Amino acid sequence: MAVVRLSGPNTQGIAGAIAGRLPVPRYAALRTFRDADGAAIDRGLLLYFPAPNSYTGDDTVEFHCHGGPAVVEALLRHLVQVGARGAEPGEFTQRAYLNGRLDLSQAEAVAALIEAETGAAAAAALRSLDGEFGQAVDAVADWVAAVRVELEAGLDFSDEEAVEGLGGGELRGRILGIVEHLEEIHRRAALGVQVGRTGDLTIVGAPNMGKSSLMNALCGRDAAIVHAAAGTTRDVVTEPIRFGGRSVRLVDTAGLRSGEGVGDVEVEGVRRARRAAAGALHVMLAVEDGQRLDEAAESVIRKVGVERMTLVRTKTDLGGGATGLRDSKLVGLTEVAVSAKTGEGLEALIARLEEVGGGASGEDAWAAKERHLAALDRAKAALYRACRAVEGGEEMVAEDLREAQDQLGEITGRVTTEELLGRIFSSFCIGK
Amino acid sequence: MTQWSDYDVMVIGGGHAGIEAASAAARMGRATLLLTQSLDTLGALSCNPAIGGIGKGHLVREIDALGGLMGTIADAAAIQGRLLNRRKGPAVRATRIQADRLTYRSVTHTAIFGQPNLQLFQDEAEALRVENGACRGVITRGGRVLRGKTVILTAGTFLAGRVHIGEKSYPAGRASDPAAARLAEHIRDLGLNMGRLKTGTPPRLDARTVQFDRLEAQKGESPLPRFGRFRPAPPPLRQVACHIAHTNPKTHEIIRDGIPCSPMYTGAIEGPGPRYCPSIEDKVVRFAHRDAHQIFLEPEGLDSMEIYPNGISTSLPLDVQIRAVQSIAGLEEARITRPGYAIEYDFLDPRSLHPWLEVRAVPGLFMAGQVNGTTGYEEAAAQGLIAGVNAALRCAESEPWYPMRHEAYTGVMLDDLVTTGLTEPYRMFTSRAEHRLGLREDNADLRLTPTARTLGLIDESRWAAFESFREDLEAERAYIHATRIYPNALSETEEDALGGTLRSPQSIAELMRRPSLGYRELVAIAGDDRRPPESVIEQLEVEARYAGYLERERAEAGRLRRYADVVIPQECDYEAIDGLSNEVRQRLIQQRPHTVGQASRLPGVTPAAVSLLLVHLRRRGWLRFPRTQEGEPG
Repeated sequence: MAVVRLSGPNTQGIAGAIAGRLPVPRYAALRTFRDADGAAIDRGLLLYFPAPNSYTGDDTVEFHCHGGPAVVEALLRHLVQVGARGAEPGEFTQRAYLNGRLDLSQAEAVAALIEAETGAAAAAALRSLDGEFGQAVDAVADWVAAVRVELEAGLDFSDEEAVEGLGGGELRGRILGIVEHLEEIHRRAALGVQVGRTGDLTIVGAPNMGKSSLMNALCGRDAAIVHAAAGTTRDVVTEPIRFGGRSVRLVDTAGLRSGEGVGDVEVEGVRRARRAAAGALHVMLAVEDGQRLDEAAESVIRKVGVERMTLVRTKTDLGGGATGLRDSKLVGLTEVAVSAKTGEGLEALIARLEEVGGGASGEDAWAAKERHLAALDRAKAALYRACRAVEGGEEMVAEDLREAQDQLGEITGRVTTEELLGRIFSSFCIGK
Repeated sequence: MTQWSDYDVMVIGGGHAGIEAASAAARMGRATLLLTQSLDTLGALSCNPAIGGIGKGHLVREIDALGGLMGTIADAAAIQGRLLNRRKGPAVRATRIQADRLTYRSVTHTAIFGQPNLQLFQDEAEALRVENGACRGVITRGGRVLRGKTVILTAGTFLAGRVHIGEKSYPAGRASDPAAARLAEHIRDLGLNMGRLKTGTPPRLDARTVQFDRLEAQKGESPLPRFGRFRPAPPPLRQVACHIAHTNPKTHEIIRDGIPCSPMYTGAIEGPGPRYCPSIEDKVVRFAHRDAHQIFLEPEGLDSMEIYPNGISTSLPLDVQIRAVQSIAGLEEARITRPGYAIEYDFLDPRSLHPWLEVRAVPGLFMAGQVNGTTGYEEAAAQGLIAGVNAALRCAESEPWYPMRHEAYTGVMLDDLVTTGLTEPYRMFTSRAEHRLGLREDNADLRLTPTARTLGLIDESRWAAFESFREDLEAERAYIHATRIYPNALSETEEDALGGTLRSPQSIAELMRRPSLGYRELVAIAGDDRRPPESVIEQLEVEARYAGYLERERAEAGRLRRYADVVIPQECDYEAIDGLSNEVRQRLIQQRPHTVGQASRLPGVTPAAVSLLLVHLRRRGWLRFPRTQEGEPG
């Protein structure tokens, strides 16, 4: 089965030209889809959703036809002939948003769903589409508004008997309560951003440490050129793989080495490797079993940090036996011993990689964008400033709260002074 | 200037908008006429005898900074004054005075009759003279034609005004003054988008029948706060107190029983009234759980025998008004001298206006004040001034001028009116101003007087006084930024005063941001002897208090204004913008916003629509960023 969706002001005419009479709204009816000459293209179900009660808010018709590409293509061709055009990517969602059917965060969740490559990201996108993320942000914005209502009433109507205003302690308490909720939203949104992002698993190490062999062993085919001469991999080699339901890139880099005998190409390679390591989701530092870490390796460890790094002891088939997982002398650095040749230790390494990055489940994640995180961050910062400003004066707290609400409004797109005033006037009897 | 020649600017109406409009245009050297039904009621305080308040006081300070009349007149007529929000921050502090009605009127008369370039004439305007679509004069009762280049209509509540008291109603513009029925009809015939609004006023009481000794007295402050700066204080009038009374459950019962006869509830009044200034019957219905509402008994004047009971605006039948008033402690014997009433009137949907208050559809016609849907003397006066300035600029074929949202409350009001429109009479609140910390009573002159001087609204002596203040202030600003306090040069007591040791040398300006430290203490620690005027020290300390906020706001504003101030060409073809919803497209076509910022504030215009608009402007090669503004007032 394939579903072809048609939406827009001329939907009725175009659908009628193809399928004859439209069925009762929201009921499926069997119809023959015909081309301009009256020849049958296919026989399938037709559904009609009149405006504004459709996904886009415009008249919409769904053709459920048999899924062969030839049939779908013929149907699309004839739709265009009678006046339809192909939708731009995301255009239905855009129209839904512009027609007020979705709020901004819901619309972006749909976009995330379209882009979502992995199961976890898709689940996060679905949860946001239900409006959970938007609702949670709205709820927080609403609490901010509730505090603002009392604060602003105290500033604009301080000469009114009905307005009592907020004490400093209570004010601070309420703002901190809001911050707590916001932190939780931020955590789940940040998780969504992380799940949605494809991360790099980067292999670094001195020349001829078996990095390319390690990469080939992990992705199961010869992606990088392997050669016994040091410095074979002169550029960054990447390979997409899947770990625990998310796609990542496996990245192989040139050996980190400085000093004599190294050409310009390798210097550039070293620079790229450092950069790749810096932006990676996780870094594997390859060191041949029994060798000491050199200066370059240690500088990468310092730069990347032990929690984002695994020390891989390679070529265990050459030296002492594989010892599996053990703690390094470097505090907190996890070590795995592997032989790419025999496959020994590979399972332990894969388990480690799934644990550190590949397998992030994102069970309660929300499909958020970087833009949302930035807005949440700014809202949080404004709320913390508001707490500090309690000592200074209400008008400054009010300023920070206004900013917090504006920032939250950047996610759900709803904030007006009129609404705030409306709440003040319905909460307090104002007007002498 | 001789009688009956062509005028540059003709102002219809002698209320607060009209007198500011006429005097501004005249000060800018334009041959100006003020046409009013009644010269005797020039500068009448039709509602309560008070000027200023939170948000409104800010407007009066701005009117004053722009060389307007209201602050000066209010200062001269003040019989009580207070600085509201004194215990809150300087940004929300606001001046409010009680005025002696007679003094207010006589000072207004003196100012208006003494204004060069301004002629006055008493007659009723019945129609506008429109030639080739542009307004070119006024036709008065009896068909007399007065020619002019521009007309400013400040009709207040007079256009088709209708007074309601209980189930009785009659046409009137105010109390018993005749409404402007013909003019209202004519304006509607011009095809302007008019609507109906409602407002109300309380009954007035005979002061001799109020038992003041049983009521709480509220005195004003001494010294009396003033609106005017940079000129000598007027001779003070005797100061009087207001009194506070309360309604009670008995009052509420009387009012509830009378509600079936209230025109607000019988449906006789269609226009919505203001939520922030509800009638007493509204308060009793909407806040049924409250068993008392406050009433301020404001004296109408030093020699007046009448009292304005602020808080019981009503349109109930007179007998209900009498019983309700007499149920209040202290007012048992009170007699009503004038009944409270509701008034319904025509107003122009302000979205039909340019931000400089010229009617979009009728070039040369400006409208200002309550006729644009606002309420309050201060809101009207500020609009009058803007309309007067722009009518004068139009005569000189100069570009219009009006303040932006970040420059003045007046700018906030103009932008709100022409962009969002209104559903109830519009009143200023400080919460409407997103740049509130920068828009203060204390810096109104710094924000606006230089522009006013350029426009020709500020005379020599006023300008000299302002310049001297500004020079002192700038010298001290330079001093506090340049002078550093060094940690190793501090004594123990000085460290205590600073609230701890200093880690590194800091300027006095930086240290002044600490709440505990003032200018004087820091100058003493720095070992200097400086004695700038008190007003300069106050200004520096307020600036220090908000410095962090204003810097952040400026950075943010710069970022936003990059887009907000992008001008949308009037020929912008909204039809050609793909993806805009029909509703948004219609609104943009109707409103023709001047800037992207204005477009973004229109109801229904979403961030997505704004980005579509920006894409369109870029595609058309219309996306031009204005030069960034530096050195905004702090």
